[in-house]
Amino acid sequence: MNAITPNAPALPAPVGLLAELTHRCPLRCPYCSNPLELDRRSGELDTATWQRVLTEAAALGVLHVHLSGGEPTARNDIVEITQTCAKLGLYSNLITSGVGGALAKLDALYDVGLDHVQLSVQGVDAANAEKIGGLKNAQPQKFAFAERVTQLGLPLTLNSVIHRGNIHEVEGFIDLAVKLGAKRLEVAHTQYYGWAYVNRAALMPNKAEVDRSIRIVEEARERLKGQLVIDLVVPDYYAKYPKACAGGWGRKLMNVTPAGKVLPCHAAETIKQLEFWYVTDHSLGDIWANSPAFTAYRGTDWMQEPCRSCDRREKDWGGCRCQALALAGDAAATDPACSLSPLHAKVRDLATEEAAETPPDYTYRTIGSNVQPNVRSPLNEEAPL
Amino acid sequence: MTAQFPTPVTDETQRLLSPDELAAALRDIGARRYHNLHPFHRLLHDGKLNKDQVRAWALNRYYYQAMIPIKDAAVLARMEDAGLRRIWRQRIVDHDGDAPGDGGIERWLKLAEGVGFARDYVESTQGILSATRFSVDAYVHFVKERSLLEAIASSLTEMFSPTIISERVAGMLKNYSFITKETLAYFDKRLTQAPRDADFALDYVQKHATTPELQRRAMAALTFKCNVLWTQLDALYFAYVAPGMIPPDAWTPGTGLVPETAATQAAGTGTLGPHDVPRLPRGVRLRHDAVRDQHVLLAPERTFDLDANAVAVLEYVDGARTVRDIAGLLAEKFTADRAVIEADILVMLNDLATKRVLER
Repeated sequence: MNAITPNAPALPAPVGLLAELTHRCPLRCPYCSNPLELDRRSGELDTATWQRVLTEAAALGVLHVHLSGGEPTARNDIVEITQTCAKLGLYSNLITSGVGGALAKLDALYDVGLDHVQLSVQGVDAANAEKIGGLKNAQPQKFAFAERVTQLGLPLTLNSVIHRGNIHEVEGFIDLAVKLGAKRLEVAHTQYYGWAYVNRAALMPNKAEVDRSIRIVEEARERLKGQLVIDLVVPDYYAKYPKACAGGWGRKLMNVTPAGKVLPCHAAETIKQLEFWYVTDHSLGDIWANSPAFTAYRGTDWMQEPCRSCDRREKDWGGCRCQALALAGDAAATDPACSLSPLHAKVRDLATEEAAETPPDYTYRTIGSNVQPNVRSPLNEEAPL
Repeated sequence: MTAQFPTPVTDETQRLLSPDELAAALRDIGARRYHNLHPFHRLLHDGKLNKDQVRAWALNRYYYQAMIPIKDAAVLARMEDAGLRRIWRQRIVDHDGDAPGDGGIERWLKLAEGVGFARDYVESTQGILSATRFSVDAYVHFVKERSLLEAIASSLTEMFSPTIISERVAGMLKNYSFITKETLAYFDKRLTQAPRDADFALDYVQKHATTPELQRRAMAALTFKCNVLWTQLDALYFAYVAPGMIPPDAWTPGTGLVPETAATQAAGTGTLGPHDVPRLPRGVRLRHDAVRDQHVLLAPERTFDLDANAVAVLEYVDGARTVRDIAGLLAEKFTADRAVIEADILVMLNDLATKRVLER
């Protein structure tokens, strides 16, 4: 941590590591947060490298490891990697689709000390869910997986990503979480990066639907207090203030991609001018303290107005840099999701317009495709970015 | 109509007691016969009753509360002195309030609602034990038919009530997670009202019990009143504790309640009492974070930073010890009062349970 001058406040240690073990996934969700250019299997880090990364993470102060992807159980060494977490005292969270080989590996994961399972559900109605996920017969596999999770006594969180294709099912997600024995439910409105940005017009709900979904969650929280914890992520195009992306740039989270690139958040690669370092070239601690990508937007020195003088600057940390780039054309601008951004009204209008139109078909995520975002920008409503 | 209440045999040799001696003799009656000594109250205050037993108590006791202003109006009606009436009528105001939604009866209804009853059901008194009705009615008859001195002396149980109220409030808050400070608002008021009432009544009795015979009658009246309270608890114990013989038509658990919401049903997992055994479920771990040199509770997608007190509690949470066991260990460790610790840690543990990171 030699980049820190003696007078500067001490650099906080990261608390979370998002380990994107692979981009391979049986599902093809059109809002996937993975980048459009997906890593191939041949480029993935090997087991020993992941184990070294985890060891460095534990020493650095990381407490939670989110084993994610893609589908993390698609890796043959998922059990070994989980076991390494347990040995290091790291809290392991398996973020899974529950399909493919997930169920077959679950007991072994339990045996080596997996702490928690977050299972994605795309919809409540099976046909709808399978249309969104782009995989036939996924729903019964997910339910069987959930049943085994709770049988084993592992805590289960259901994650539902909400968009116009399933926002009518919010009550159903809550009932499903109770029925499957989940202790937590994430009702996470889509955040528009990666594939979700490409599919924004197909996914954007209208304001009335969003408001209704929030009311339903608030009512259910009260009704199910002590039984089900519901975390709500609201869609920030309709919000007043932006979310502090990843808890603030370079403050809490490190994201390691399947190929070993270390990002401050999972969408950071969209900011082309950033220089990312790889775990194969640098230690995790060195990357956290010194890599240009992490230092670029850490703290508040990089901010422009209105962020710079805003008294929320250490709450929101300027919002999301990737969204600022995508919507304002400048990664150091105020996130246009913020009502204080000069572009905010345009962003909101854009969301409202898109939500009012007939949704286009989904562009499903695939490895090796050459998809380019073809969405309107508030800067230039005609030209694709 | 003349009800025959037993009157103690006259002891011709009894001498006249000084006012202080009379007060001491009256206090002695309370020390031996007041219902704080009843086994049912011990169970109530020590958290040994289940929720339905607490409900039975709240329901039956409502009838007593509701009849108190009628009893006091009967006493008032016998007072020929306007000065006396002005003082005594305050008791009716205290119980009935000055407006709807006010007063002791209303606060008792809040208590009954707080334990789950529908207000209409409580007010109907249809579910109370016959023994409750008989005892309370006997009290009303007593003050109508005996001398004013005896009527006033029978109210002297209020001399003893501040003790029982403090015990009760502390005990119930500590021991029953379904009892809140608001639920027990009734007793807050009584803590100041009862001593004021008792001071006046005692002074009256000391002044007007001017012969050994009158003093004896005053003491007998207080004994009678203690019995009014005691028999109500006998009946509750018999019907709802042991042997559990609920008379026909009396309240049975599950009836007369506001339909339970999913939230209160879910409190089965979210609410711990002193006799529950808390445990950290799989997926929740207490860990020392060496980098930051602090203890943390690691839970699904969350980390709780713990202070030294929370760590001390959680280190004893092993899935075998009860909350009370843990409070006992902490009381020893920190040489502090177990009851105080228990109340504190119940708040903390229930908060964690609501967040689904602690179970029983």
